[in-house]
Amino acid sequence: MIRVAAVGDIHMGPESQGTLRPSFETLPDRADVLLLAGDLTRHGTPEEAAVVAREIKDLGVPVVAVLGNHDHHDERPEEVTAILREAGAHVLEGEAVVVPAGEARIGVAGTKGFGGGFVGRCAGEFGEPIMKEFVRYSRRCADGLHTALKELAEADCDARIALTHFSPVADTLAGEPPEIHPFLGSYLLAEAIDTGGADLAVHGHAHAGTEHGMTSGGVRVRNVAQPVIGQAFHVYHLPGGGGGGGGGGERSA
Amino acid sequence: MTEASPPVQPAASLDYHVAHVAERLAAGPLGELGVRLEPRGDSVLLTGTVPSAQCRDEILSLVREELAGHPVHCDLLIAGTSSPDRGEDLT
Repeated sequence: MIRVAAVGDIHMGPESQGTLRPSFETLPDRADVLLLAGDLTRHGTPEEAAVVAREIKDLGVPVVAVLGNHDHHDERPEEVTAILREAGAHVLEGEAVVVPAGEARIGVAGTKGFGGGFVGRCAGEFGEPIMKEFVRYSRRCADGLHTALKELAEADCDARIALTHFSPVADTLAGEPPEIHPFLGSYLLAEAIDTGGADLAVHGHAHAGTEHGMTSGGVRVRNVAQPVIGQAFHVYHLPGGGGGGGGGGERSA
Repeated sequence: MTEASPPVQPAASLDYHVAHVAERLAAGPLGELGVRLEPRGDSVLLTGTVPSAQCRDEILSLVREELAGHPVHCDLLIAGTSSPDRGEDLT
């Protein structure tokens, strides 16, 4: 059994230093990997990223993260990424990584993703340049996720996970006003997941949404935004060998 | 002869005022997009989950200052930080 812990939208700042660490320190007994589904900071400043870094450093399980829109707010995502990587996290944007779980191998493909909406209720690449760029940016994120998942298909993984901040499906937005769904996710992410192949999709971003959903292709989707799960993380058990191994030795796909 | 009525001043809409406060919460120093502000008659209801008590207090203080004269009801929750008892089996 492969055990995947995940949380998103922890929105850390100096005042929240140490609030998650006690629960995170229980992870080696509960999970093989910790996924962070973006919006790790409140404003995306290096100071806030350093708070997250201290919270996740040397946890005893691999940490894999994507950034969220909050982590871009200060327009220094590269600095935020570098600080998290310095703490040992794999920060993915259109990339994949394979981490060990005992004898098993867990592949994670990640992108922040973006909005645009869902089939029949989505933005189109038409009209003003800024509108076309909105949709093109969302498509580039989804294409990056698809490419990363295809890399994992060649990497002999026991489980493949798609990690995003924005949602791939509307299911997990239930509870959010339908009018803002196009700002919370895009079907392009789900299409990338279904065509690239994954055993689980994990996202955040929708604080008022619900935890459980599924893509059209049957991939289970979990919204792990901290306000949704109400805890420091949730754990998902996937079929596969290993469990309880953890440790280092992870590598890029 | 009748005296002309003074021009009627349109009442400032609480809806628009609330919308601008929500924009300020998001774009200002608090960077808070997870809080919903909803007019309820002459008052305003705050809902959502925030990461800390300090964050909740800052939001409530700003909203009360911006919407002075309107009662503000605060139902903001603080995000849970406990660890789960068990995992979800997806096998």
